[in-house]
Order: sequence, then C-alpha cells, then structure tokens
Amino acid sequence: MNFQLNGFLVGFFFGAALYLGGLADPDKIIGTLRLKDFHAMRTIAVFVLVGMLGTWILSLTGHAHYSVKPAALVSVSLGGALLGIGFGMTGFCPGTGLACAAAGRFDALVSILGMLLGAMTYIMLYSKLAVPIEKIANFGNVTLPEITHTSPALWVLPIVIAGGLILGLTAKKK
Amino acid sequence: MEKQTVRKSVLPWWIAGLLLAAVQIAAIGINQPLGVSTQFVVADTQIINTINPEYGQNHPLIGSEKYQKIGYGWWLDIGLIAGAFVASVAIGRWKLQYTTAWWKTNHGPYPLMRFLVCFIGGFLILLGSRFGHGCTSGQFASGWAQLSLSAVPFTITFFGFGMLTAWIFYPKAPVIE
Repeated sequence: MNFQLNGFLVGFFFGAALYLGGLADPDKIIGTLRLKDFHAMRTIAVFVLVGMLGTWILSLTGHAHYSVKPAALVSVSLGGALLGIGFGMTGFCPGTGLACAAAGRFDALVSILGMLLGAMTYIMLYSKLAVPIEKIANFGNVTLPEITHTSPALWVLPIVIAGGLILGLTAKKK
Repeated sequence: MEKQTVRKSVLPWWIAGLLLAAVQIAAIGINQPLGVSTQFVVADTQIINTINPEYGQNHPLIGSEKYQKIGYGWWLDIGLIAGAFVASVAIGRWKLQYTTAWWKTNHGPYPLMRFLVCFIGGFLILLGSRFGHGCTSGQFASGWAQLSLSAVPFTITFFGFGMLTAWIFYPKAPVIE
C-alpha cells in the first residue's frame, strides 16, 4: 500500500473540480443529456478542447505521457453503449459517482455497489466473452493522426478552433 | 407536488472546464492521463484475493501487476473522493441526499426505486467501462486529449445511448436555475 502523493494530489484536484464545476451532480448530467441544461455539456467541451490543446503542446516539448487505448471497435462501441445507458439512468459515471458519494449522495453509494458488481462480472466473463469480442475489428493502440498518417496539428487546431467558436457563439449574453 | 428546482453550479462552465483541463494536462505531464474505472477492478481483485487467492493470481486479467498492485491510479481515486468531500464541505453544500430533482419530477418523492435504478445503472456503468477500455474520464476525456481512434466509436455510442436512456427515464424537466 505504498502511498503515492502524485496520484493523490491529481485525484484531489480532479475531485474538487468535478464537484465545484457541477459535473458531480446527477441533475446537471441528466439536464445535459435531455438537452435542457447546457452547463455540463459546455464544461465537458472546455475540458476536452483545452485538454487536447494542452496535451498537444506538452507532446511538442516531449513531456506528454500517453496511454492510448486499443481501438477494438466492437468492444469499445459496446462498452460506450452500456456505460451510456447507465449514465442516462443514474446521472453518474465512475468518477462523478465517487465524487457524489463523497459529497453525501447515498444514491451514488448504491450506484458504486452496482459498479463493483459490474467489475466483478467483467472479471468472471473475461476469458469467455471479453477476449473474443476484443479481437473483432481491433486496430491496436493507435491515434487518429497515426492511422491517417497526418500531423496531430491538423486535428488539434481545427477541432479546438471550431469548438471554441461554437462555444463562443452560443454563449448567453450577459 | 411542489416544483423541483435544479441548483446552479458553483463555478461557471468555462472556469470549471479550464480547471478540469488543467488537471488533465498536469496528469499527462506527471504520469498518465486521467482514468478512474480500472480501480474498481483493482478493488474487486483485493476481495477475490482474500477469498480465493489462487483464482485471482492465475486469472488472465487480474493476475497481472496492473490489477494486483495498489499504485498511482488507486491513490488518484482516493484523492478524488477526498477532493470532492473537502470541496463540498468547504462551500457548505455537503448534504445527505437520496434522490435528485429530475427523479422526483418524473417518479415522485420516494427514493427506493431510485436506489434500484442506481444499482442496476452502476452495474452497467462499470461493465461498459471495462468493455470500453475506460469510462468518461479514461476513454472519453483522455481519449480525445490524445486523439485516440478508440474515442470516436466510444463517444458516439456513449452519448447516443445516454441521451436515449435519459429521454426514456426522465421525460419531464424540473425548473433549471
């Protein structure tokens, strides 16, 4: 049980930001999925766009630690669908579920018990189900620039500029 | 029944997004992109190891060091819990809650059904996170930060099914501040 301060601190600020930013709030998440409350959607968009830009800049200076997941298209699509259904039912995901429970949500605690059972089920099904599905349409641990033989800048800059413009143009005037 | 209201977030969206992005960039600079859900498997591995260590150590997935060892990712999740707790107490919003405004608007004041839906939903969330090689943090946010190919199909099914399910479970909207 070696304590890792780096991990703890990153998690601490992540948890605080999820809570203060309104993502660790199932009402905000359901509001966004129902297209009635755009706070969470806009927050997530800034998170992803600025994260993408910052990661690209880090990579230019050689300081980015990547961990690209395998593009097993069937497994990943199935996973996204199941996670999406759970997300739409509860308004939680694994990170915000933990944060919500820490902020006093008993329903999040119940959800975490379900998550532990879900992880246990995956462990049990791993050899029989997960391994075969993982092999279908698996392109390996690739990024979009790698598979298209293009420069990351050609992806990052247009996505960030387009996303920034959409966020700016749709922002409510004070 | 009294009209339910969804409270405003403490921080405006752009400050919240910038803070989360700063954490992501720091995480990628220090060790690895943000991710949460792997540690649910690590927690289960600890349980399995106490009940049937032989099964755990010979298992093709959880027998590996990534799941057997308590490391960086574990402490990230512990930190996440601590950070949300401290933040909610610091601003005076820590409160024992059983249900949500959207739930009450659609299904009434009693939380028992909400618990059942949360348990089943939680089950699907982690099962999906494992088939998806990550959750909202590790596959969606970190996937796009690194421009992973895997993030593309994941994002489409995640938000597609998320919106469809929310529309089925929560047709009526509460008042949104």
